[in-house]
Amino acid sequence: MELTALQQDALIELLSIGFGRAAASLSQLTGHRVVLEVPQVSVHPIATLDSALRSLVSDEVASVHQIFSGPVAGDALLILDYKAAGMLKELLTDEAPLPLPLDASAREVLTEVGNILLNACLGTFGNLLQVQVSFSVPQLNLDSLSEILRSLMVNREGLRYGLVVHAGFRLRDAEVTGYLVIVLSVASLDRLIRSVEAWEQGQS
Amino acid sequence: MTSKILLVDDSALARRSTRRILEGAGYQVVEAEDGMAAIEQYFVEKPDVVLLDLVMKGMYGLEVLAKLREMDPQASVVVLSADIQTSSREMVQAAGAAGFLNKPADAQQMLDVVARAVERGDSWS
Repeated sequence: MELTALQQDALIELLSIGFGRAAASLSQLTGHRVVLEVPQVSVHPIATLDSALRSLVSDEVASVHQIFSGPVAGDALLILDYKAAGMLKELLTDEAPLPLPLDASAREVLTEVGNILLNACLGTFGNLLQVQVSFSVPQLNLDSLSEILRSLMVNREGLRYGLVVHAGFRLRDAEVTGYLVIVLSVASLDRLIRSVEAWEQGQS
Repeated sequence: MTSKILLVDDSALARRSTRRILEGAGYQVVEAEDGMAAIEQYFVEKPDVVLLDLVMKGMYGLEVLAKLREMDPQASVVVLSADIQTSSREMVQAAGAAGFLNKPADAQQMLDVVARAVERGDSWS
């Protein structure tokens, strides 16, 4: 399944708005300017999602996972490498980071930051597409990328494709890079694309 | 007399940062980390305003809001949530909340909303 050029453009426009809202929230949280890259979007069969993401992040990652439901439903993950996760903790608490698996304060920070950023991005979609999106309690995982993706697939036979969105953002001249990954069933991906097309037509 | 705020959020980070803002403005703050504790604390502490997160483990914020309002129709509950959707704000208002703030909350905006909720029971403009 591939996106047409028009679908890709419309999704990127929507994602830019969502990421912009997330970046504004991150800037407000940290007190620093956030520089955002243009989001990249691609669709991958679930079986190749691991290799698609491996080109972006190292194997050990911190991820905040929220299930979202509504007319468009799936899983959303904010993925950061350990270095970025430690830097965020330092920016938000003025405390030096410890090794992440041992740092309860950092895990708290990441869970809340992930909650705010995922809500900012997906909530913006809900507003623009005029659909109500509901969210689960955010869960933080410190694990290999493969294990995180594998755990999403348990009992989820309907998940065939993953929409991978990534946008780098930089804080305070440092390179803290995060990635948003959205995993949808074929039906939800189809509905999302149709909603985005309708939204985009409404804009012109 | 110092007004008392009950802060309900499963995120310790969110509770800490919100507590700092409220105590800095002279409010007395008590905390609950989930819905069941919030309901208990409400009747023990008798706060003037409740600041309530929406998405929490166990009872969701809307359930807590409904329960508090059922037990005390005068309960003044301001929702503080990462959910930025307009539809969620409308849902919260329809459920009888006294106000709605998005995370991360601007400190002055939070204080204005809480002050209005303390003074007149709601903060919707």
